[in-house]
Amino acid sequence: MPLETPARIVSELASRGYNAEREAVTRIADTRDPSTTLERALETLPDEALKLTTDHVESVVEAIENGEGTSNTEPDRGNETTGAPTQSHPSVSTGTDAASSTEPGASAPPETGGSRDVDTSLRAIDVANDMTGQSTGTGEYSDFVAVFRDRYEKLAGKLRGRVNHRPTNAIENMGGGSDAALIGMVSDIRSTASGHWLVELEDTNGTFPCLVMKDRPIADLVQQLLMDEVIAVEGTLADDAGILFVDSLYFPDVPRTHSPSTADRHVQAALISDVHVGSQEFMEDAWHRFTDWLHTPEAEHVEYLLIAGDMVEGVGIYPEQDKELDIIDIYDQYRAFSEYLKEVPADMEIRMIPGNHDAVRLAEPQPGFDEELRDIMSAHDAQVHSNPSLVTVEGVTVLMYHGVSLDEVIAELPDEEASYEEPHRAMYQLLKKRHVAPQYGGHTRLAPEDRDYLVMEEVPDVFHTGHVHKLGWGEYHNVVALNSGCWQAQTEFQKSVNIDPDAGFAPILDLDTLEMTVRKFS
Amino acid sequence: MREADEQYFETLETQLEAAFDVAERAKERGGDPKPEVEIPTARDMADRVENILGIDGVAERVRELEGQMSREEAALELVEDFVEGTVGDYDSREGKVEGAVRTAVALLTEGVVAAPIEGIDRVELLENDDGTEFINVYYAGPIRSAGGTAQALSVLVADYARALLGIDQYKARDDEIGRYAEEIDLYDKDTGLQYSPKEKETKFIAEHMPIMLDGEATGDEEVSGYRDLERVDSNSPRGGMCLVLAEGIALKAPKIQRYTRNLDEVDWPWLQDLIDGTIGKDEADEGDGAEDANDDDGGDGADDDGGDEADEQAGPPRVEPADKYLRDLIAGRPVFSHPSKAGGFRLRYGRSRNHGFATAGVHPATMHLVDDFLATGTQIKTERPGKAAGVVPVDTIEGPTVRLANGDVRRIDDAEEALAVRNGVEKILDLGEYLVNYGEFVENNHPLAPASYTVEWWEQDLAAAGADVQAMQDSPHIDLADPSAEEAIEWATDYDAPLHPKYTYLWHDVSIEQVCALADAVEDAQVAQADGAYADPEMDGTAGDAHSDDGALVLPRSDAVQQTLERLLIGHTQDEDTITVTDWVPLVRTLGFSRSLERDWTREDLSEHARTYGESESLDAIGVAEDAEREDGQNAIKAINEVAPFQVRERAPTRIGNRMGRPEKSERRDLSPAVHTLSPIGEAGGAQRDVAKATKHADDMSDTPGQVEVEVARRRCPDCGTETHQANCAECSGTTEPVYVCPDCEAEVERDESGRAECGRCETLASPTQYKVLDLQEAYRDALQNVGERETAFEQLKAVKGLTSEEKVPEPMEKGILRAKHDVSAFKDGTVRYDMTDLPVTAVRASELDVSAERLRGLGYTEDIHGDPLTHEDQLVELKVQDIVLSDGAAEHMLQTARFVDDLLEQYYGLERFYEFDDREDLVGELVFGMAPHTSAATVGRVVGFTSAAVGYAHPYFHAAKRRNCFHPDTRLWYEDENDDWEYGTIEELVESRLDDPQEDDFGTLVQELDGDLTVSSLGENGPCRQPVDAVSKHPAPDHLVEVTVGDRTLRVTPDHTMLRAGPDGIEEVPASDLAAGDDLPAYDGGETTTMTARGEASTAATDGAAPTDTVEAVEYVESDVDHVYCLTVADTHRVAVEGTYVGQCDGDEDCVMLLMDGLLNFSKSYLPNQRGGQMDAPLVMSSRIDPSEIDDEAHNMDIMDAYPREFYEATREMKDPTEVEDVMKIAEETLGTDREYTEFRHTHDTANIAAGPDLSAYKTLGSMEDKMDAQLEISRKLRAVVESDVAERIIEYHFLPDLIGNLRAFSRQEVRCLDCGESFRRAPLTGDCRECGGRVNLTVHEGSVNKYIDTAIRVADEFGARDYTKQRLKILERKIESVFENDHNKQSGIADFM
Repeated sequence: MPLETPARIVSELASRGYNAEREAVTRIADTRDPSTTLERALETLPDEALKLTTDHVESVVEAIENGEGTSNTEPDRGNETTGAPTQSHPSVSTGTDAASSTEPGASAPPETGGSRDVDTSLRAIDVANDMTGQSTGTGEYSDFVAVFRDRYEKLAGKLRGRVNHRPTNAIENMGGGSDAALIGMVSDIRSTASGHWLVELEDTNGTFPCLVMKDRPIADLVQQLLMDEVIAVEGTLADDAGILFVDSLYFPDVPRTHSPSTADRHVQAALISDVHVGSQEFMEDAWHRFTDWLHTPEAEHVEYLLIAGDMVEGVGIYPEQDKELDIIDIYDQYRAFSEYLKEVPADMEIRMIPGNHDAVRLAEPQPGFDEELRDIMSAHDAQVHSNPSLVTVEGVTVLMYHGVSLDEVIAELPDEEASYEEPHRAMYQLLKKRHVAPQYGGHTRLAPEDRDYLVMEEVPDVFHTGHVHKLGWGEYHNVVALNSGCWQAQTEFQKSVNIDPDAGFAPILDLDTLEMTVRKFS
Repeated sequence: MREADEQYFETLETQLEAAFDVAERAKERGGDPKPEVEIPTARDMADRVENILGIDGVAERVRELEGQMSREEAALELVEDFVEGTVGDYDSREGKVEGAVRTAVALLTEGVVAAPIEGIDRVELLENDDGTEFINVYYAGPIRSAGGTAQALSVLVADYARALLGIDQYKARDDEIGRYAEEIDLYDKDTGLQYSPKEKETKFIAEHMPIMLDGEATGDEEVSGYRDLERVDSNSPRGGMCLVLAEGIALKAPKIQRYTRNLDEVDWPWLQDLIDGTIGKDEADEGDGAEDANDDDGGDGADDDGGDEADEQAGPPRVEPADKYLRDLIAGRPVFSHPSKAGGFRLRYGRSRNHGFATAGVHPATMHLVDDFLATGTQIKTERPGKAAGVVPVDTIEGPTVRLANGDVRRIDDAEEALAVRNGVEKILDLGEYLVNYGEFVENNHPLAPASYTVEWWEQDLAAAGADVQAMQDSPHIDLADPSAEEAIEWATDYDAPLHPKYTYLWHDVSIEQVCALADAVEDAQVAQADGAYADPEMDGTAGDAHSDDGALVLPRSDAVQQTLERLLIGHTQDEDTITVTDWVPLVRTLGFSRSLERDWTREDLSEHARTYGESESLDAIGVAEDAEREDGQNAIKAINEVAPFQVRERAPTRIGNRMGRPEKSERRDLSPAVHTLSPIGEAGGAQRDVAKATKHADDMSDTPGQVEVEVARRRCPDCGTETHQANCAECSGTTEPVYVCPDCEAEVERDESGRAECGRCETLASPTQYKVLDLQEAYRDALQNVGERETAFEQLKAVKGLTSEEKVPEPMEKGILRAKHDVSAFKDGTVRYDMTDLPVTAVRASELDVSAERLRGLGYTEDIHGDPLTHEDQLVELKVQDIVLSDGAAEHMLQTARFVDDLLEQYYGLERFYEFDDREDLVGELVFGMAPHTSAATVGRVVGFTSAAVGYAHPYFHAAKRRNCFHPDTRLWYEDENDDWEYGTIEELVESRLDDPQEDDFGTLVQELDGDLTVSSLGENGPCRQPVDAVSKHPAPDHLVEVTVGDRTLRVTPDHTMLRAGPDGIEEVPASDLAAGDDLPAYDGGETTTMTARGEASTAATDGAAPTDTVEAVEYVESDVDHVYCLTVADTHRVAVEGTYVGQCDGDEDCVMLLMDGLLNFSKSYLPNQRGGQMDAPLVMSSRIDPSEIDDEAHNMDIMDAYPREFYEATREMKDPTEVEDVMKIAEETLGTDREYTEFRHTHDTANIAAGPDLSAYKTLGSMEDKMDAQLEISRKLRAVVESDVAERIIEYHFLPDLIGNLRAFSRQEVRCLDCGESFRRAPLTGDCRECGGRVNLTVHEGSVNKYIDTAIRVADEFGARDYTKQRLKILERKIESVFENDHNKQSGIADFM
């Protein structure tokens, strides 16, 4: 008799279009003849049911053990369990419905040894900064102005305590030689003929030139500046009050004193990204090993799965992409992804944001999926929020952002500050600037909304990105910064530019301690 | 040289000298910068090579080798000399290699370009990892001007030298190989390559290259992997190396192979893999990979086995379909045939008299039937043997076969008939024959493709079978080309020869199934009576009678039978129930029937081999099968040969795919705006540079009108000491000399020997120019008076704003007045020019040239090609090498020029009129200058006649090509349209949408005058401003554009496009080709902000208070991928902001024909821009006679035979290399250096008129892009050989999607712009208002420009069946666009859906 792993049972179920409670799967795996049990269980499952419940399996097992050829159907759970996945109009509330429906099953079977003890009632998840369905920008000039003003106001607020800000037009009228401070958005950076830096700062009144002398220690900070971030400077005005000689320069930054919140119990979250289903390089085996592992006792505390974008490979991302696609139809890609997601224990809480390969607009913030895509992604009632989103899991706030701006940060900043080898260091820069994609007009695209969703108003406890396909994590002022690798092997393109991706890793975060463990499945 | 040729050249030279004398006398009278004619006679090539290299002894050796061998061979021969030390004075081994490589490049470029000096930096010896030494050749960017062949050969030469010197090969490290691949890819993306090798190809080359290719970094982009390699200096792409590897080695592999074969020391066996294209082809690349492989076996197998086991082959010999020519298909340029697809052009071998190299003979009826998209001279991109070809009309080949709306099928062999039936054509079943000459295969080193079975081949088969063909030809009762059915069958059976091609149908295009079905239908058929009465299907056939074969065969109609007949290309008529075939006997006999329609075979009688023959008939290269399922037995030719009582050949085994490239060209060359005189009037003349207006212009009320300050020459008369800015002294009429003054200390400085004038005290360069206030009123009045003209003699006199030449000597305004009077305009060098697409022709008829036989006799044409005296207009005569045929437009323009020249001589120089033409016939016999591209040498030509085609026909030896100047269509700019909306869009849209009622000059340039409601950002004297656009125009594109990279933007303009550069003295105007990395261009951002490019490179100018600038990061030549470039005429400033940079508006430039006397009188080097490249395309020297050995060897590969021998045709079936049949063929190369080198250019095919077919391609007559695209899709539906869904797919893929994606991207990172002052900002100001003036700011990219094409694209995708993948991409893109522009709270039901 072949040894049936839970994952295999799950994929068997998935191939027939069923979802299952984790407990139910474990129960089947534990029987003497899992395949028969499975067959029987499915035969007796009510037609409309899409999810195999523990109770149902229990009854089937019982029936088999009692020697009864066929058990009577056991439909009383059916109605409840079928609800969530077949909802044609999923809304935020259905997530909790689904969770509660598994609750009795989860708490019921103490006899299934080795299985995890999941009490979903202890869970708490909350999402902020989600603009899905809230996009109000219509591509007007005023939208652009509004979004930058909002950025300025929000970030200036973080800096007001540190300097005595004077508006640019007021500084113009101050006497030469006096001390002045200014909070402004970087509108231009140039080097002068003599090698000093001329930084033009802008506030809601106008612009003012600030000169950073090259021999000052803060000159190094200029190297870290990106356009359109908001900083504060202090210094002395030139004699004609036409320029400010900068003595000190401040970023909004994360306070050093920041102390992160943690969960009240021992519970873990898996933080992954860049699955790229549909690509010929998608690492199916690694993914199977990952989902298999989630079914093991070792993973019993992993109750949350966060995916930071690029669930699928997408279509038309680059020219002649169709030749490197395993699945050419974008909807089929999401269907396949949904099937892969079904391998994950049914009781896991899943949250995702789109990335640049997903079928939503590329301009940021990117809204979550539209109805058509949500209908396809029925498994687990997974929620797709906008990119970026602030997801609070049992008290721990996780800022999820796909990470397109990392390319630009890495390109613009010196290697020692940010590189592909250490992507988390680039993330530190973003934390420091309190904005996920400050520089406008270059690599990163902006869709103007009524406010700047890309600002980090609140300091997250964890900052989670993907996109660059490299694994890297670290702590910046007590904030965990994690770039979570990918599930796509090296592509021809990456090979041609000598990029070696970190594929098949699953970082696991202890929500009670914010300790990180990285598991390798490739 | 024959005496006749000597006489001819003497005639030309005498005529030239006479003109020279007149010109010299005129010049002596002053008024011009130099008192003599400024175009000297050219020395020979050997001298040029030696001089450019500065290596003694090269010229002598080159002359020695010249007569004996080709230049390529001579280059290799010289390697030995260098190695032995007999040439050059090099001691070191690397020095010897370097000398040899430079010499080779110089030799191959005829010593006219800088590539051998500037393109090769150095050669060095380095060490391999195993301790052996290898050669490293260090290339630089200017190697580009050498061209692919010379680039590739330079490597071969280096390798040959290496082998002779006993140095080891280069062994590339793995990281170096990876670097090559990444680098070339990066360079291609960044700059663009003519040919982009696949990664595997690059790696393959890098692995096998026995020489290390290295070079200077030419760009700022850096590779991201493979950095900091030990043996590679830079992390940036090395442009020279990339060019040599990609456009040299990868692209020209077949050519190099030809030379490696001759060298024992050098063996590059790997080239074969490169040529076969087996490298870099991904197994999973395309679905038909397996078929490709099959086809390889079938095809190459035949090649190798030499036909031993021909019977056992699974399929016939076929060349592999290639779809390269379809890449980058553009909307508006139709595909005529998909790769090797049945129904496409049928390859026929031969050379028509108007045919030579890079040309393709097409039947005029075909040209008309493809909706006139093809015209004489239209360039097509083709599947084989080359990449592109110019279309020439040939009416002695077969025309297209069409199905009319009533179901009738017939072949159209007459252009008139084609026009008559055109509207009724439902399907073009076959495009007819496509004539390609043997030389074209030699030139491209392409294996011969199986030949069509044609009369010229059949005759030789018949002779070989024992018939007395000569007697038959002489017999008045026999027409070998068009025999009766009876004769054809008789010959086939009597002599046991193959059936005559006329009755040989395309059995290879139908399957066994179809043949059997046809045979069954024939069994049920009847023969209608011979009296022409309509066949009564009820009537019982008494038609078994052997004499009724004049009647018609009436078959029961079925779709299958009809389709089979259509594929066989058997003409027929039909009604609802029957299909009627006339001249049917050969058909039924071929099918194994007797005349009485009885057969003695069944399907079972066919051999297994015949039944399965043709399994390898592959899908097309694009992966589209005509039938849903392809099984064995697709080619019925074997079966037919089993059932037919005689041999039947494959009628048309090779089909050639192609699509339209550029349209033909014939137009006057005007600067934009057209300029009559090269004298400066500053801004006073307005946008039109109107001199009359300038004389009345005053900046304000207090100024005297007509006073303009401009920068002009500072000169002094050596005789009387008068100071002036003119070339001649107003006092004593002597020629003045430039005076150099130090700008710092204002001391006069003498020039040293090298022509430099440096101030001894200040060590600064002295300048020969001054700012001077000119009194235009006086100048204008004097000029009018001098030539005795009144202002009413012309409409408008246009001058230039400023001068770009070093000394800034103005041209006498008198010349301009006379030019204006005769409506001709001056080019930058003072000449009047006319551009034409060049086509070759070797024999002409007086009748088609619109001249009389007598006139031709007067020009030395005494005999026709057969040696008979020339008496009639329709006799063919062999064209003399320097005689050219002008297009009608050119002739008209030359007449105007001649009148201008006459007036000039009489009214300005005070001499007698020279030309005195009454009508254009007088032009015949006159001399002109022809200019070849990329050179600075003109060739003297003689007008021999005229053609209505929009091309210039000349002897192949007088061949030249063209380029032209403007903005690339994708160039983006900001403008305020008529509705006061600020738009950001491409110049193409801007111009195309406004060409409502364009004036088309006679030559295809479309110009639309606007009423000034359209404004653009511009840069005036006082900084940024907004200016109305006076006119928009559209010009055919040149072969190359210059790509200027500024920050992260690139700007593609024609090479002579005026760019603005921030110089020490403010903004200066320079041609784009003169820009270099590091130059500062005025940035469009304006104000105090500049775009930060990369830190440290950001301009420093702004802090100094000067105008903001952007730094040029790279300047590269790229091959033009478009048909047209676009221009704006901006009022007053003539400058416009595009892509974030201010530039000048467009100028024309290029090469062409000039009237001799005009060139002699008006050309002056002093007018040429003084920067690098400024002297390109100017006639710095002239050749009075063509030496065939010195011209490009492409012309030497042209075959010059009356007929191709049977061996040749047989060889094509074996797909031999063209060189293998060299012995039986004759190409022009064989006559080089002999008496016959100027004569006996025989042709195999005649054509009635070298200008047959449409005069202009429909591409030029159709209006908007969308009209063209609709016509393109329309024609794709009509053509059997075209898969319309693929065409639609490609248009979407290469045109619409990039546009949509690009615009959406541009939207989300756009700049904003002040509506009031024109200032632009990288990002919206936080105040919301303009930082400069407080005015209203708005976006530069609007929703309208983003979603403009989406509906059209979706419509095309749906209507023409694009792939689901493509449709899905469009759908998702549409949603992405909506997601950006729609308010979720206030969704509109998409008004776009209804539009």
